[in-house]
Amino acid sequence: MRSLTLPAVAGFDEMIAPGRGIRTHYTHYHDWLLQQDGQSLERKRREAELQFHRVGITFNVYGEDSGTERLIPFDTLPRVIPASEWQKLERGVIQRVQALNLFLHDIYHDQRIIKEGHLPAEQVFGNAQYQPCMQDVDLPNQVYSQISGVDLIRDGEGAWYVLEDNLRTPSGVSYMIENRRMMMRLFPELFARQMVAPVDHYPSLLLETLQQSARHSNPTVVLLTPGRYNSAYFEHAFLAQQMGIELVEGADLFVKEGCVFMRTTAGSQRVDVIYRRVDDAYLDPLAFRQDSMLGVPGLLSVYREGRVVLANAVGTGVGDDKSIYPYVPAMIRFYLDEEPILANVPTWQCRRKDELKHVLANLPELVVKEVHGAGGYGMLVGPAATREEISHFRDRLLANPDNYIAQPTLSLSTCPIFVSEGIAPRHIDLRPFVLSGNETRVVPGGLTRVAMKEGCLVVNSSQGGGTKDTWVLEEREPC
Amino acid sequence: MKLSIRHSTEYHYSERVKHSTQYLRLTPRPSARQKILSWEMDLPETAERASDGYNNILHVLTLDQPHQEIRLSVRGLVEITDEDGEDADQRLSPLVFTRMTELTQPDEALLELAHRHAGLPVDARLEALSETILSAMPFTPGVTDVASNAAEAYLGGYGVCQDHTHVFLACCRALGLPARYVSGYLYSQDSEHVASHAWAEVWQDGSWHTFDVTNQTRLPRHHLKLAVGLDYMDACPVRGVRFGGGIESLKAVAEVRQSSSSRCQ
Repeated sequence: MRSLTLPAVAGFDEMIAPGRGIRTHYTHYHDWLLQQDGQSLERKRREAELQFHRVGITFNVYGEDSGTERLIPFDTLPRVIPASEWQKLERGVIQRVQALNLFLHDIYHDQRIIKEGHLPAEQVFGNAQYQPCMQDVDLPNQVYSQISGVDLIRDGEGAWYVLEDNLRTPSGVSYMIENRRMMMRLFPELFARQMVAPVDHYPSLLLETLQQSARHSNPTVVLLTPGRYNSAYFEHAFLAQQMGIELVEGADLFVKEGCVFMRTTAGSQRVDVIYRRVDDAYLDPLAFRQDSMLGVPGLLSVYREGRVVLANAVGTGVGDDKSIYPYVPAMIRFYLDEEPILANVPTWQCRRKDELKHVLANLPELVVKEVHGAGGYGMLVGPAATREEISHFRDRLLANPDNYIAQPTLSLSTCPIFVSEGIAPRHIDLRPFVLSGNETRVVPGGLTRVAMKEGCLVVNSSQGGGTKDTWVLEEREPC
Repeated sequence: MKLSIRHSTEYHYSERVKHSTQYLRLTPRPSARQKILSWEMDLPETAERASDGYNNILHVLTLDQPHQEIRLSVRGLVEITDEDGEDADQRLSPLVFTRMTELTQPDEALLELAHRHAGLPVDARLEALSETILSAMPFTPGVTDVASNAAEAYLGGYGVCQDHTHVFLACCRALGLPARYVSGYLYSQDSEHVASHAWAEVWQDGSWHTFDVTNQTRLPRHHLKLAVGLDYMDACPVRGVRFGGGIESLKAVAEVRQSSSSRCQ
């Protein structure tokens, strides 16, 4: 690293104000930075990489050579959010997740939101994510999404938006925890200087949430993983270990006499709560995909009878589907009688003729996404695409308009990262993790993802994105 | 009409099965159209009674001792009434049944078929469609199997009730009409005919209407309904997963007779 001079920034940067000034919440960090030299920071970066390799924090990237494990790039310059700003985000994501849980309960029961005309019926029932097997099934606490990840971004003016909700099996929380541990190991002096809100209690909050989702006290909780070939296997093992619960695969569980049991060396043991990191389609080969080797035959029958709890519930995907996303603000008004604290990104639904027309006329400026897509696959980023890519995408869009939504290309805020030449701004997002048990809670901050390539707007780790530690900073001096 | 049903299914395995779990949809739900006078199941172990998302009666059978065969048999006596009593249950939205599945996903040929009788009123159109399907793929056992999807079966030009039903469902759904798969038993005087049967129901004017493509009938007078779903995979009488067992051989015999007591009437 040659220079520690701050770069000029174009859009909204989290640290650097226009004219190369430093935003207030970064003052302490910047003072510290001025006393560092490039070589020692580079040494710390390499140390972090080595340590991450040692604990095995890697990520399988689909589409590359099978089984390729890659280290998710970690940047040591923290993303800082002032506590006052965080409070609003916290209230915003809690409000959103509460509304989404009420929505899921409603559409799997009375469907008031449809009957009262706020959401077209075919949007819900024609959606493959609506699971008929969940209709009229009662869940304890009426909680469907115990663990939610809400992806937040800021535009070029610094305004916050919800980019998407993740109510199925959101991942990334292990990086949030490990990034903090790494930063505290590398730079303990930074944490002595200022009050950074802790995140290390996430596993105990998660365990509490899972226990609260059971029908009786002292339940047996397990974590069901698809296995070590899954891209997030590290996280599954990490969370199970942190919570002190069993990490199991489908073949470790079986169904008998209306209950789910786990095979153990001491015989079989009844299981009450399954924190499952296996998608709906693979949960039970007798009810969903019959070729699934990842699930537990018979699981759905036990679940429907209320004799085991799944976190998250089956069928939450209908709440976070991109075709449902445009209706979340209406859900907040409908169920909570509140105004949304966090805004949606304006979204055109290509299934609507007039909106499709607008999208087709403005493809080079828009981001177009598959409604059921995830992980940054199958999308078009208009401004970054070649003419050929756009024309190719136009054909796909015309062949199946219902399958797409479009949004304006938001510039996304940047945060500086360390690169070999020095310091440079890169685009980021934020995924806070919301836990819904007896109450709805969020660990301060979340996972900040960084697009490591200059100008790149896709932050997904499957697309080569990296991560940063996220600090929610109390603005008073430590005692 | 009173019908007596005997249905036995036997699985034999070349090696020992360590563990198996099955979903059985072998128990009819009573309705205005079908009265269940008696129904018994003979299974190797007690099965747990539950229901599935389509309100079918489901039994979950777990065998966790090594085994090389599974015998399932049911016998029952039912009364099918001529009552119109079309099923109008809407607890599960009929719109769910506009969804395509792997078995009903249409290709170009099926889309063309679906739109062939445009211009006719819906009911006449569906009847014409049903006729066209049967003549395009006459009832011929042994050409398709349980894994064949609608497009493959239609292209092959032959099929059994399951294929006729899948092709019909694919067309209805392509036209935006909710349509569901029904599995059950059929009484036929012609004893050559298979007693296990599948047909379709289409949601029209607030209730489900029968379309039995294989038999070209709209009246389910000889039909005993076991289960409904999006396709065969949802409604099939036995669906199982096993660990071990090697090669499986299946012997199924279903017999539906008109019960003597009703014949005398």
